[in-house]
Amino acid sequence: MKPLHVNPLKLSQPMGATLAFLGIKNCMPLMHGAQGCASFTKVLFTRHFNDPIAIQTTAVNDITAVIDGGEYSISEAITNITQKVTPDLVGLFTTGLTETKGDDIKGASLLLKDKQKIVYVHTPDFEGGLESGWSLSVQNIITQLIKPSSQCIKMKVLLIPNVNLSPIEVEKLKENLELFGFDVYAVPDLSDSLDGHLGIKQGSLSSGGISVETIEKLGDAGLIMTVGRSVEKCGTLFLAKNHQSTHLHFDSLSGLKAVDTFYSKILTYTGIKTPHASILRWRKRLQDVLLDTHFILGKSNILIADEPDSVYALTTVLMEAGAKINAIIAQRSEIQEAFTCQVQIGDFEDIEALLPNYDAIISNYHAQRLAHKFHKALLIRGFPNYEQVGIGLRHNILYEGSCNLLCEITNLLTHYFEVNH
Amino acid sequence: MINKKLIKDLLNESACSHNKEKKSSCDKPKPGATSGGCAFEGAQIALFPYADAVHLVHGPDTCLGASWETRATLTSWEGENNTPLGYCTNVTTQDIIFGGDKKLNDALNYIWEHKNPKAIFVYETCVTAMIGDNIDYICKEAQERFSIPVVAVHSPGFVGGKNLGSRLAGEAVLDALVGTREPESIHPYGINLIGDYNVTGDMWQYKPILERIGIKVVATLSGDGRIDQIQQAHSAKLNVIVCAKSLITLCRKMQERYNIPYVSVSFYGKRDTSNAIRSIVNAFGDKTLIQKAESIITEEEALLEKRLEPYRHLLAGKKAILNTGGNKSWSIASALQDIGIEVVATSIRKATEEDIAIAKTYVPILMKVPANEQAKLIDEHHVDILLAGGRSLYTALKKRIAFVDVNQEKKVSYGAYGGLENLAIDVCAALSNPVFKIAGTQAPWEIMEANG
Repeated sequence: MKPLHVNPLKLSQPMGATLAFLGIKNCMPLMHGAQGCASFTKVLFTRHFNDPIAIQTTAVNDITAVIDGGEYSISEAITNITQKVTPDLVGLFTTGLTETKGDDIKGASLLLKDKQKIVYVHTPDFEGGLESGWSLSVQNIITQLIKPSSQCIKMKVLLIPNVNLSPIEVEKLKENLELFGFDVYAVPDLSDSLDGHLGIKQGSLSSGGISVETIEKLGDAGLIMTVGRSVEKCGTLFLAKNHQSTHLHFDSLSGLKAVDTFYSKILTYTGIKTPHASILRWRKRLQDVLLDTHFILGKSNILIADEPDSVYALTTVLMEAGAKINAIIAQRSEIQEAFTCQVQIGDFEDIEALLPNYDAIISNYHAQRLAHKFHKALLIRGFPNYEQVGIGLRHNILYEGSCNLLCEITNLLTHYFEVNH
Repeated sequence: MINKKLIKDLLNESACSHNKEKKSSCDKPKPGATSGGCAFEGAQIALFPYADAVHLVHGPDTCLGASWETRATLTSWEGENNTPLGYCTNVTTQDIIFGGDKKLNDALNYIWEHKNPKAIFVYETCVTAMIGDNIDYICKEAQERFSIPVVAVHSPGFVGGKNLGSRLAGEAVLDALVGTREPESIHPYGINLIGDYNVTGDMWQYKPILERIGIKVVATLSGDGRIDQIQQAHSAKLNVIVCAKSLITLCRKMQERYNIPYVSVSFYGKRDTSNAIRSIVNAFGDKTLIQKAESIITEEEALLEKRLEPYRHLLAGKKAILNTGGNKSWSIASALQDIGIEVVATSIRKATEEDIAIAKTYVPILMKVPANEQAKLIDEHHVDILLAGGRSLYTALKKRIAFVDVNQEKKVSYGAYGGLENLAIDVCAALSNPVFKIAGTQAPWEIMEANG
């Protein structure tokens, strides 16, 4: 194993946590670490989404790092934040620094509970990555905020997207479920906060998302739906709040087979015989697109490098049209076992070594330099994406989004083959 | 190891005018009310432009994972450009428990075998400072093994903000590199450019002009910099600090150690660029050099006027408000004035005391809380354009005036004479774009409801 990362693909747990808390209304993500941890994160997401990002830091310094167990800097931070704004929730999460110190954030949060509602999460950046940071935050939002319920409303669904789903993908998923008569609540809900809508963007608190009050009352949801292996555990935790509830899990919502599975499970659950006409129509379009794109995709070798759940979803759709894929994932994940193509953990140095043998690369902004260097087709997906606009509007799931993805990559590859052969 | 005394000294820098009163800009960050990067980032910013050196971050992934390949600091180095690349030891739980020394050593060996750099900088981070890795010792050993400089940079994030980090990086360079190589010849008008990182090629806007005058750039810290040049920096006759307060300690110490005086200049805008050139040649005091400089200034200013000609009619009489931080609060104001715009107000919310003092000489109204003041000022003064960070976009839309995001990573240089044309192009593009009047309009149903 290499003793270092050269051009890392991996992003950190606190970054995933930040994004999770930004999907809750009037929330202040509070990163417990040195000021730089929050600053790097803020810059990354601001440039990625082209929107103001709310975040604060406990600004641990060389003195508090040694003599404070966390209580001082956390309570100071809460005091200073609440002087300016009134958050409905503070999402408190740790970093490598404060986990190395071993701060008691649970204790600190309990001391402050009369002053400010807080959800606390342990997210050291020397473990896991973006997906686990998001998932751990959602897990703690479920266990710390949702009130247990003995009631069970069959058509109330709690939707847990993984960190890779774009704001519009979350919205499309909600709309599709509503077509079956569900009341849908996404936690977190980025479709309402980081979807790039024009509003009075001061950016001092999250500008949209699901409200804390709504989350607290989610205990009576009859269905919890998790999308992506990284958030599967959230379903299990929710069932502890409500034993009568049903948990449906999907590793991928891209590609004909995966989306068929999705709708068949929903039909079984609801007892509805046929989905809405628009869904039927989109399925036929996807069938046609699969056939239209297979000429090109069937002879294409594609390298995909991103967060594990994202790579898996992209793989499930592209392989249906015959693409040959090698997958590089940012960190270890349970989803690894599910891949039917080659998969390994790696960084951009590894990607650079492999790329000459492929026609296209699908990865984040950093793939751009490599695609230019080796004259390869490039599709930018994942975090960060600094170059392009409309990141929040990208839709690559369900029948409709699968069509979008297949057509987009095929057009890029067609151009690539024209230029290179 | 972190040097507590050095940090204290850096924060009390006698050459900073504000230290005669209070240390406002150098105080400890306030929990829950802090923005901006950490000392590690500051060190990174100051040293990353050395493209011929590998920059290895000894810590977990957050410190580097999000920040590599984000800085538009250009280089003419023909070997592998290490500036945009990210090297990180990726410290994990195992290393926290057993120490990261071995991993650091292995990483250094890997870099030496695969990359053949001119030097390696090793950046300490919060976690590796906490677990007490012996970075100095490992670097010293590696330096002997590889026969290239392996420089430990002790600037973990928790010691303070970006400014302090840049200072600590300057100290590391001063102690480990400056004066470690003797030059083949000594130029009578040799200068070091300190604090310009050549973002979007800013340095290249004025360096050729200085060379035409007869000045030689011996070394830079660190825009388009080279390790072997900074090793010879002690042979320069003058240090030129470009738009940066953070490296003033380095310059003061070089004056004490090597008897090199320093001047502080800005290359933003026509007047400031011309004044910067004058400050440099006046420091040498050579009459021929001064005359040469004056004739080239005249030439360049005339050329600039010609290049700005097509934009003059659009810019004439336009009024602007500037809401940005640090030295940009006055340097961009000055540049705007040079292209014919009246700057009504500028923000001093994130400026140092020095910056405020300078801003006063350029702009009549200084805004302390721009978020509250700028909307009113736009109405009162019939302002045409707001230059600010993304957060203010909504204000511009509401007031239906043009907007330029000055805090976004800019793609082109606004530096020196040549950059002013780029600024004029961007401002004209915003002024003539209809989008600011269209995008913020009310929806039909809102208008109908308002009309009853």
